[in-house]
Amino acid sequence: MRLIPGNTIAEETKTTDKLTLVDFSADWCAPCKMLHPVLDKLTTELSAKVSFVTVDIDKDPAAANQFGIRGVPTMIIFHGGKEIDRMVGFRDKASLKRDLEALTVGTLG
Amino acid sequence: MSFKVDTGLINSGAIKSTDSYQLVIAGGGPAALSAAIYAARYGIKHVVLESWKPGGQAALTAEIENYPGFSSIVGSDLTNAMKKQALEAGAVFSMETVESTQEKDGKILVRTDSAEYSAEYLIIATGAAPATLGVPGEEKYYGRGVSFCATCDAPFFKNKKAIVVGGGDSAVKEALHLTHVVSELGLVHRRDKLRAEPYLAKKLVEHEKVTTYWNSHLTEVVGSDQGVTGVILDTPEGKKHIDTDGVFLYVGTVPATEPFTTLVDLDKKNAVVTRDIVGTSNPRVFAAGDVTNNGFRQVVTAVSEGARAAAAVFDLLENE
Repeated sequence: MRLIPGNTIAEETKTTDKLTLVDFSADWCAPCKMLHPVLDKLTTELSAKVSFVTVDIDKDPAAANQFGIRGVPTMIIFHGGKEIDRMVGFRDKASLKRDLEALTVGTLG
Repeated sequence: MSFKVDTGLINSGAIKSTDSYQLVIAGGGPAALSAAIYAARYGIKHVVLESWKPGGQAALTAEIENYPGFSSIVGSDLTNAMKKQALEAGAVFSMETVESTQEKDGKILVRTDSAEYSAEYLIIATGAAPATLGVPGEEKYYGRGVSFCATCDAPFFKNKKAIVVGGGDSAVKEALHLTHVVSELGLVHRRDKLRAEPYLAKKLVEHEKVTTYWNSHLTEVVGSDQGVTGVILDTPEGKKHIDTDGVFLYVGTVPATEPFTTLVDLDKKNAVVTRDIVGTSNPRVFAAGDVTNNGFRQVVTAVSEGARAAAAVFDLLENE
């Protein structure tokens, strides 16, 4: 999963070919660390439909403020630059994969 | 920033779901880790299905001060050490979520999101998830000021106001953690006395940043586009609006027993009903930790129950 600077979120998420999941995360956050292997696995399994990137909220507090983040991990899913869903807290692989696949059906067809 | 959990703590091993196991351990918290340590040392052929959530709820606890041997230890440090010890003992872990279970021809069949396992015995140690209040605004502002994890989210509330709802050990420990960060902390409890350890309760109630709201209920979380701005409380003096930036909820837990409903008896709160501490209504199934109805939800009791459950399986295997 790629670490991106907060000021590139708009550019990273504008595609309509895929969904983009932006993971807002922090080094001190235990559930974020639990989530990263899940996202790494899904980066491979869903590579055709979803791009996964992560933002370090300590390095980019402005990005956290911009998106109203007050808890980590928070995952925001974008399509064509627009937020289409938001998930907060740890998610297990099976349920996260199910939800992302449902979103791809709804948006990518 | 590294996004790899210490690889020494992840060992998916070479799991073959077609193998038959003597024991499947479901869960990743202290009860499961303790059961794994004992199962490995007893030489029981086993697998631990830890559901992508190593360490369980204990890993999300800021400081644990009542686990013997440590005056104070960060929850995830303790559970990481337990997992390291289990791996060194030869425990085998796989990150899979148990979806359903059944008993067939004297075996326990466990179906996960990616495989099926057959085992002679099962230890259920899947723990519990935080309960919600079900009040307006709670779901809407989850992640925008509503939190179930002060350890995770406290830094967002530096020099801001926060409210903690609850009166048990978790509520009080996490509230004390928040006092290091916030400017003001409200404590809302439905009774006139905390259930938490008196030592911790006294420390919190007497803290200069803390205001208590006894015999009170949170009835609504209110906010704006930017997140939580306040809460409505039902107090003995009537309804009160309290300004706050954060709401931390510790109002009990929901046992993670959904995959086991046909396998063992559950109580009204869906906890596994135990007999002789770790036995269940099914002689091939044992349970340990927060998933049980044993009541005292502590790391020290979870590890004790995990060890007892593994030892019970070992005794049964020895006498077969």
